[in-house]
Amino acid sequence: MNSAWRIAREEWRYWLRSKTATAVGVAAILLIATSLVTNYLRIDAERDARQQLQAVAEETFRNQPARHPHRMVHYGHYVFRTPAPLAIADPGVDPYTGTVMFLEGHKQNTATFAPGYTQALTGPLATLSPALVYQLLVPLLLIVMGFASLAREREARTDQLVYTMSVSPTTLWLGKSAALAVLAMILSMPLAGITALAWLGGESVVISFVFWLGYALYLLCWVLMITAGSVWQRRASSALLVLLASWLLLGVLLPRVASSAAEASLPLQSNVRNNLEIAKALRDAGDGHNSADPAFNKLRAQLLAQYDVEKIEELPVNYRGIIAEAAEKKQTEIINRFARRRVDQELAQASAANRFNLLSPYLALKSFSITTANTNLEQHHQFLRDAETLRFSFVQQLNKLHATELAYVDDAKRSIDASSEQRARIDPQHWRMLDGFESERPGVTARLTTALPNLAILVLWILAAAFAGQRGAMRTAQQTNG
Amino acid sequence: MNSPSPNKVLSATNLTVNRGGQQVLNAVNFSVAKGEIFALLGGNGAGKSTTLLTFLGFIKPTNGSAQVNGATVHSDVKAVHRQVAYLPEAANLYAHLNAWENLDYFLSLAQVDNSRESINAALDTVGLASGARVRQLETYSKGMRQKVGIALAILRDAPILFLDEPTSGLDPVAIDEFNAIIVGLAERGTTVLMVTHDVYGACRVARNIGLLQKGQMVGHFAASGDEQISADEVHRMFAEHHKA
Ligand SMILES: Nc1ncnc2c1ncn2[C@@H]1O[C@H](COP(=O)(O)OP(=O)(O)OP(=O)(O)O)[C@@H](O)[C@H]1O
Ligand SMILES: [Mg+2]
Repeated sequence: MNSAWRIAREEWRYWLRSKTATAVGVAAILLIATSLVTNYLRIDAERDARQQLQAVAEETFRNQPARHPHRMVHYGHYVFRTPAPLAIADPGVDPYTGTVMFLEGHKQNTATFAPGYTQALTGPLATLSPALVYQLLVPLLLIVMGFASLAREREARTDQLVYTMSVSPTTLWLGKSAALAVLAMILSMPLAGITALAWLGGESVVISFVFWLGYALYLLCWVLMITAGSVWQRRASSALLVLLASWLLLGVLLPRVASSAAEASLPLQSNVRNNLEIAKALRDAGDGHNSADPAFNKLRAQLLAQYDVEKIEELPVNYRGIIAEAAEKKQTEIINRFARRRVDQELAQASAANRFNLLSPYLALKSFSITTANTNLEQHHQFLRDAETLRFSFVQQLNKLHATELAYVDDAKRSIDASSEQRARIDPQHWRMLDGFESERPGVTARLTTALPNLAILVLWILAAAFAGQRGAMRTAQQTNG
Repeated sequence: MNSPSPNKVLSATNLTVNRGGQQVLNAVNFSVAKGEIFALLGGNGAGKSTTLLTFLGFIKPTNGSAQVNGATVHSDVKAVHRQVAYLPEAANLYAHLNAWENLDYFLSLAQVDNSRESINAALDTVGLASGARVRQLETYSKGMRQKVGIALAILRDAPILFLDEPTSGLDPVAIDEFNAIIVGLAERGTTVLMVTHDVYGACRVARNIGLLQKGQMVGHFAASGDEQISADEVHRMFAEHHKA
């Protein structure tokens, strides 16, 4: 054990004296710092903007003058999704899915981006999140630092001299791995800092720690793969080649294959076709603005019978409001049916892609990261559902007001008669129906449970890489001929 | 065929080794007693370094065996490493470290005395200029590096020494000093197996000389005692085998 630490310290001295190491160190610091700072500032600004804009949106709705309730249905409302605390480390799908929704009657809009979220910020630099830096670039830096750790000794045959000092091949391999592992842990410290910030920002301490732990395991996995690669290759140059190829395979090609395979096996219906289908279904359900639409004949007959009257003008409720309410209910059911289908398709595709997680520690960590950070697709879906619930609730409240607070006669004549128009407006105190919007998020236990399989995959890879490294060390020390 | 004698520290029995698909040692037999200096001579590519590497457990024999203190090397390589000091063919030390750092590192791995005093004493013995000791080895000449390697082998303080061309690159004064050192060590009981191209030096310090050619032991002479062979004689035989 002592010898392993002595070997690790010696590796550090080697790094500190070599120029590559200095260059790599500077690159690492710059990359990590840039990603941390820019991502933190962006998310922080977005969070502030959203919190303020959400209040402004609610304020504006509340302060509308006396109006016809259906005008308010179309006036609409905005909801903003507050970024999860750990989004400062991994923004996940947020930069692609949008975080603002305009809510209005008869329609489910798609999420868009907050004002100030300019396209210039969505270039490659915007996605240089700490997550990406730690998932792909830090392993690359570790490769540059560690590819030669054992191959260099073998090329110079210093390994043989080390073995004759009664150091076992396993100890030499362990020492080199320890040196690289310490470097990886030092590089993970800024991430620990940012998870601490997330904790201060309201994230649970357990989740914050587990998030860092996942990344630490992932880097350890790379450390062991690098020393294994270095020990199995006769030359440092071929070790570098093999390791770069593995990085490309595990971090770029396999993820591409995984998502392509998922897309091919479970294709999403195109948005255009989806929208056409929705439009047709909605048309068949009837237009809530047109009380003469034959789709509502049955409802009218029912109402007339219920109140025992001959004409809709004689109903004690505003027939137009009733129609609007019924139409909204029907439309929402249709819209939600399509939305659920879409969500199910997207989730099925994502879980098909997740089946590749076992094949690449990068994929396992990526899934782990967005689930633990609450920035995954499920969270986006939850936001859509919560926004829809709010939309339906305030639209139906307005429709109820429409049905109960104004007379059918005034409502029907309001475009031709000025005094009817005045009577068809209702008091603005009714607009106080909205309170703060917060999308629900899974708690600690739920996220830990989902994280566990991916953490297990990382541990499996660590064990496999350690096994390969140790076996390689034994083998190369025994047989130098060939 | 010699059979391994139990009182021998090192013995090769029908030692046969393949490297890169070719037989480079062919049924080699020899043994070295405690406190004996055995010099292995032979042309380039004869298999001398291979013999040392096999004794160190870095190469597995395809047939026969190398034994250290009666135990087959490959049955317990670690036990062998605990008893040996090794000077590689090209003194393979770390170019980014200075002499003192190199020795300190290796000795601390071996868990033997790595005090600055003993390191300096060893470097004095091999004649490495004190001004050079703080410079990184990449600034050293071949002979200077060799001296650090020899210092390491001495400081390792092992009962068995494997030396691969220890005098290569050394100036005549340093060669004399080196010869004096290993004779002194052998007198105190250290067993030395030494590969060399220096026929005259070998005859001066070794008790026995083995002549290796194309993987075969073609000559075995006593270099001291009554049947002592002269260096000129060895040289002549060497040249003869070389032509053959
Ligand atoms: N790594 C290797 N792979 C394959 N063959 C090798 C290897 N090293 C040496 N050989 C072959 O083994 C044979 C013996 O080599 P060895 O190094 O033992 O010779 P040597 O007697 O030490 O020569 P020299 O005096 O030049 O040092 C040679 O034919 C050489 O080509
Ligand atoms: Mg040689």
